[in-house]
Amino acid sequence: MDIKKIVTGNTHELLVAGRIDGPGANQLEEEILASIRNGGQNVYVNLSQASFLCSAGLRVLLQYWRQMKQKQGLLQATSPTPEIDAVLTTSGFRDMLVEKR
Amino acid sequence: METVTLSSAHDKPRLDETLLSFARTHQLPPRAVQAIDLALEEHLTNVFNYGFEPGGHPQVVVRIDQDPDGLTVEISDNGKPFNPLEHPEPDVNLPLVQRPIGGLGIHLIRKSVDQLAYRHEAGRNILTLCKRLAN
Repeated sequence: MDIKKIVTGNTHELLVAGRIDGPGANQLEEEILASIRNGGQNVYVNLSQASFLCSAGLRVLLQYWRQMKQKQGLLQATSPTPEIDAVLTTSGFRDMLVEKR
Repeated sequence: METVTLSSAHDKPRLDETLLSFARTHQLPPRAVQAIDLALEEHLTNVFNYGFEPGGHPQVVVRIDQDPDGLTVEISDNGKPFNPLEHPEPDVNLPLVQRPIGGLGIHLIRKSVDQLAYRHEAGRNILTLCKRLAN
């Protein structure tokens, strides 16, 4: 899995390409944590090139969505593929989606 | 039929490759393969993370087959007896702030496949997943 980061001020967009499986979820968590440490207040996880999302990835998204909300920040998942959108919907995480900016 | 034996989560890429190869050979619809892929990922994560004491020796056997009804995958392991079908369903309608972290793996397995069956036999947990190939 590959993650590219685009930083604009305190907005960090993480472009995830590949499988967010167990190891991928750990990698995603590390990148989210790095963004938070580096002052990211708005973190967008762009899923347009992610080919797979499992519960380990959902857990990371929920955990840091909640943490950012507590800090008056924001974490959102954006632009999911249809397959990933189905997983987000099945798990009840659709609230996290925003339109691609 | 294809059979893959795994002794740790590190063996998972070999299973992924076998599933993809089986799918290409049998020209399976991507939707069905993605569903089985997700169910396998979730179940095997649970088996390797929770099914064995430290120092245990996992032996997990995955059999992939196709019949007129669809794609059937049987996963058997020598771990602690555990029936995932008895696991309670999460409340996916709770607001995100109230959702517990975790507990979604078995829910995603249930929603991914069309039939799910469990038995415990000869010291092994055996989970059978079926995914229909026709809409």
